[in-house]
Amino acid sequence: MRVRPIRGLYLYWRFISTQIKAILEYQADFWILVVSAVLTQLMGVVFIAAVFARIPSIDGWGFWEVCFMYAMIYVTEGIGSLFFEGTWRMLRYVNMGELDRFLLRPVSPVLQMLASAVGMNGLGNITLGCALIAVSLRHVRIEWTALTVFWTAVLLLSAVAIRVAINFGSNCSAFWNKSSGNAVPLAVHNVGEFAKFPITVFSHGVQLFVSVAVPFAFVSFYPAAYLFGHEDWTRYAYFGPLAAVYAWAVAYGIYRMGLRRYESTGN
Amino acid sequence: MGTIEVRGLKKVFRQAVKDPGLAGAIKHLFTRKFTEKTAVSGIDLTVEEGEAIAYVGPNGAGKSTTIKMLTGILVPTSGEIRVMGVDPFRDRMRNARQIGAVFGQRTQLWWDIPVRESFALLKDIYEIPEDRFRRNLNTFIELLGMDEFLGLTGRKLSLGQRMRADLAAALLHDPKIVYLDEPTIGLDVAVKENIRGFVRALNRELGTTIMLTTHDLKDIEDICRRLVIIDHGRIIYDGTIEAVKDAFATERTIHFQGTFEESRLRELADRLPAAEVTIHEPGHFSVRFNRFVTGAPEITSQVMGVAEVADFRISEPDIEEVIRKVYEGGIELPRLTGMGA
Repeated sequence: MRVRPIRGLYLYWRFISTQIKAILEYQADFWILVVSAVLTQLMGVVFIAAVFARIPSIDGWGFWEVCFMYAMIYVTEGIGSLFFEGTWRMLRYVNMGELDRFLLRPVSPVLQMLASAVGMNGLGNITLGCALIAVSLRHVRIEWTALTVFWTAVLLLSAVAIRVAINFGSNCSAFWNKSSGNAVPLAVHNVGEFAKFPITVFSHGVQLFVSVAVPFAFVSFYPAAYLFGHEDWTRYAYFGPLAAVYAWAVAYGIYRMGLRRYESTGN
Repeated sequence: MGTIEVRGLKKVFRQAVKDPGLAGAIKHLFTRKFTEKTAVSGIDLTVEEGEAIAYVGPNGAGKSTTIKMLTGILVPTSGEIRVMGVDPFRDRMRNARQIGAVFGQRTQLWWDIPVRESFALLKDIYEIPEDRFRRNLNTFIELLGMDEFLGLTGRKLSLGQRMRADLAAALLHDPKIVYLDEPTIGLDVAVKENIRGFVRALNRELGTTIMLTTHDLKDIEDICRRLVIIDHGRIIYDGTIEAVKDAFATERTIHFQGTFEESRLRELADRLPAAEVTIHEPGHFSVRFNRFVTGAPEITSQVMGVAEVADFRISEPDIEEVIRKVYEGGIELPRLTGMGA
């Protein structure tokens, strides 16, 4: 079957806007989620500020640079929640046999799954995260040319794609684990904690792990290296789009393998 | 070449064998013990375009597993499926365009949005042209009486409303083949009648191929002409509904009218294996027998030796009885060969 990106985007928008509408109409309490997400994130910033009040830099990385990395992890998480919350529903879809519904329709089940839920708490992460990114970028001495704008955009998009791919791939563990709940995807999710700090402070093993195995470093650290001009790491930043393609290929491969094991139980 | 062609279809589920508790789970990580459960073990089936077939069998016989392989949800362990020339698992999206499916236990509607909007989403999913969508929707609203609940969200529908909405949702894109898995389960009589009439019209008037699994004999009789019985993952009967009783009803009863001596009749009953004589009133008695042990000609000639028979008739076995036995898993008979539709 032909892949039609415009139709895919249109359907994605139809599904997700339906979900958003349903939430706005029927769930008055979503603001609580948004506010609590903002508060959680503010605590993180306070923590970083407290650390930098004592030491001027971490391994050559200053306050605003770490803030940027921190914010990138949060913004991508927020986008993942707001627009791709469906990845976190895989466990239910697989265990309750709800994947059937997606498989019966002539639309990519992955697209349907991605657009199947909206996490309003993401709104809080995105708002504050974006503000943090904007503020930290004001402290960068960067010459904004067409090329740097282009690369910044590419790296940010890649960061989002990588984050969603990691969520998707790790949640596909549902096809193998029937009873261990969200343990695997949550463990993978927490690898992101490493990428809130410059990975140079970690051992080579950890650096390799967060660059290749679970490439969170391409969500936060490498884009930061590019934007803040850390020359020795910048060259790796250009692999961002490639890392995104790679992350999606792996995630999709896991999904295809899992689908062959799908048993559609729960009847 | 039928609309649905199935050859040597098998599905084996692998289940992990774990000891209970955390220790068991950890042990399983290293030993990986599994048991295999065969749900469908070698099915051949051909369904012609426009047929309506009932696919029945006891719980766990492999009905739903077959339907799920036909719809492309499950991948077969081995064997081959072609639905209108398409492999449903490999070419799932192409298959999805030409089929409709209703699973009685599970809705295809969106929980959080009104039924009307679910339909509008399906219009986009199946790329149904506006005029055809309007026409179909209006027809379904009228035939299924959906006016009253189009504005309700999926979660607020009663079971009967949900089932009707699900049926409409599965048919908006004019599928050539429709799979119905327990479409009337738990519904009240009026809604059942409504759905049966609707599905029958779909098959008779539009020529849509129907494959139906159900526990309800009325569903089968009203909608289908052909019956396929599956047990332990194998097809044990494939033929007309009328003929099923010939294949499976073990007990026959012959009613006699005439003059006889009771004692001689009793003697006869003792001589005939697996037969039972009941005397109803003066001049009336009946013999119930297992026809796979003693044939009807044998019974009649023996009876005529001891009684002056004026008249007799063989009572027709009940289809309902047969189907009920199928669901109770009570059918264990020599498999008949050469059965055809």
